[in-house]
Amino acid sequence: MNRVRRLLLASTLTVTTLITSSASADIAIVVNAGSGIDQLTRSDAVNIFMGRYRKLPTGNVALPVDSSSLKARFYRALVNKDLAEINSYWARLVFSGEASPPQQIASSDDVHQLVIQNMNALSYVDGANVPDDMHVVLMLGE
Amino acid sequence: MPRLLLLLHTRLALRTTAIILLIVTLLGVVFLSLAVYLRAESVQQEQQSRIQELLTTVERTAQVGCFLGDRHLAQEVTDGLLSNNIVNAVSIESADGTTLASGRAGQIAPGVTRVTRDVASPFEPQTPVCRITIEPNQAYIDTLVAQASNFIGGALLLQLIGIGFCVVLVVVKFVTRPITGLSHRLSELEAETGQQLQAPKGNRDDEIGQLVISVNAMIDNLVQSLSEERRLRLEREVEERRYRAIFDNVEAGIFELDGAGLIRSANPAFRRLFDISGEMDLESHPVAFASLVSEGEGMAGPFLIDDDAGGHERQWEVALENGDQQRWVSLILSPLETGRLQGVAHDVTERKRAADAAERMAMTDPLTGLGNRRGFDHRLAVMARHHRLYPERCHALITLDFDHFKRINDTYGHQVGDLVLSHVGAILADLMRQRDYVARLGGDEFVVLLEGCDQRADVEIVLARFLDRLRVPLKVEDNIDIAIGVSIGVAMLGLDTDDVSQAVQFSDMAMYASKRAGRNTWRFYEALSTI
Repeated sequence: MNRVRRLLLASTLTVTTLITSSASADIAIVVNAGSGIDQLTRSDAVNIFMGRYRKLPTGNVALPVDSSSLKARFYRALVNKDLAEINSYWARLVFSGEASPPQQIASSDDVHQLVIQNMNALSYVDGANVPDDMHVVLMLGE
Repeated sequence: MPRLLLLLHTRLALRTTAIILLIVTLLGVVFLSLAVYLRAESVQQEQQSRIQELLTTVERTAQVGCFLGDRHLAQEVTDGLLSNNIVNAVSIESADGTTLASGRAGQIAPGVTRVTRDVASPFEPQTPVCRITIEPNQAYIDTLVAQASNFIGGALLLQLIGIGFCVVLVVVKFVTRPITGLSHRLSELEAETGQQLQAPKGNRDDEIGQLVISVNAMIDNLVQSLSEERRLRLEREVEERRYRAIFDNVEAGIFELDGAGLIRSANPAFRRLFDISGEMDLESHPVAFASLVSEGEGMAGPFLIDDDAGGHERQWEVALENGDQQRWVSLILSPLETGRLQGVAHDVTERKRAADAAERMAMTDPLTGLGNRRGFDHRLAVMARHHRLYPERCHALITLDFDHFKRINDTYGHQVGDLVLSHVGAILADLMRQRDYVARLGGDEFVVLLEGCDQRADVEIVLARFLDRLRVPLKVEDNIDIAIGVSIGVAMLGLDTDDVSQAVQFSDMAMYASKRAGRNTWRFYEALSTI
């Protein structure tokens, strides 16, 4: 059942990707396939990436990861802000220590590695080339 | 205070200033209240918008703090807000009801309108994350309002003082000082010399100049009426002197009577006429006019002023006993004013004497010195009047006619005839009493009126005596004796008739009766015999 659904979703994604790749690429928020998280709302995504929620819906501590190559596009798509604004946001929070920014990883391969190794990791990839071993929980249109 | 009131009362500038200041103060109070009210409103609004601005300033930080539920950050925002004077208390409540941060700078002030701002998530503008509530510092706002009010009030007060000072200056310079100057000059002006008031420089064409013109016109009028008055007084003095000269030197007596008939003034002629000494002061010792007059028509009465006489002039003549001789004075009285009469007195003694003489002459027979027909008619009229008044008294009317008088005339001539007539007249006059009347009517006809003769016997006595005297012949020359015979008729007025002319007729008839009876006798009128 679960497999069937995954196949369906994958095929849907593939179709969608095929359709939209020519106009603009979407960004997919991805998690470890075994994380147990099926989907996230956009609000959940904002709360986790902007440091409000520290836990995943599953109850585990969330580990958001910024992928440097896609970071600007991602935040534009998620909260419609540029990187300067995002940096300023985090800079404000440095002293209080209440929240910390996502872990910064430069290479998309390292992101890939981290996500497939860590059950709680959460990151984003270009919607056009989502690796099979990652589970897409939210598609952000650009 | 009384001194201030006195100053206000006597100083135009002060009074004007006080009134203007009062008005400006009243208006100022009204304007000040309005200004303070409006200023308070605008200060309130300013502070409101300032609070909104403050909120806007901290909103982004608050968004983040609330979004993350970061109490430190929220507290930071709260402290930042509280560092403004205008903010009294701040609280930040997250959307789920928990208070993230709160703070208070001053006392709890009830009844203050709080300002709230809903803060949305920095990433999802439609999602509210918390609410900031600010309690404004009303005491501070009130202080601001008070400061603004004080400023306006101070400015207004300064303006008031400035206006007052300027008004005093202006009034003193343009009103008080010219008026004071005018007043000084006016008091030193010698108006009777025709001197004119000069308007102060710069005031020639304004109201003060007009005042000066009016005053000058008044001075002109006064001078004119003064000189007119002087001229009239001189004229009156001349008139008075003229009148005085006439009064003193005229022949006619001029005098004044008061309401009681007392002489109040009299000129020398009057004093001479009425024998009043020139030194006698009539003002202090008035003499009653009636006391000076001994005889005349209407004595004391007319000298009292009766109102019925009105403005009529009255004239009559009075007799004065001046020593042994009587003098006649004509008086003309005319009213002078209420209670005063002016009189003019003329000495008419000579005229009166002449008139009396002429009258006597007209009624006298020149030959015998007895009355003539005119005198007889006059006397008869008097008797008729008398008889009408006293019908019970009788009078005798006697007619005498000479017997054969023509013969005497023819024989001895008219001169002797005249002598005879005079002789008989003298006898008659001699026999008659004072009040009886003898007249020669013409030719040889005589009449006698015996007044108050009631008895025929009395008449007979007189007649008998007459005929007795007549019996002695008249010696004309030594050798000529003339015997005279007279026929006499008597009618008794009151007994025979009451009508005088009938009595004359009756006595005539009786005379003829005595001629028929043989002449030189008398007959009484007998009614039966004649009818």
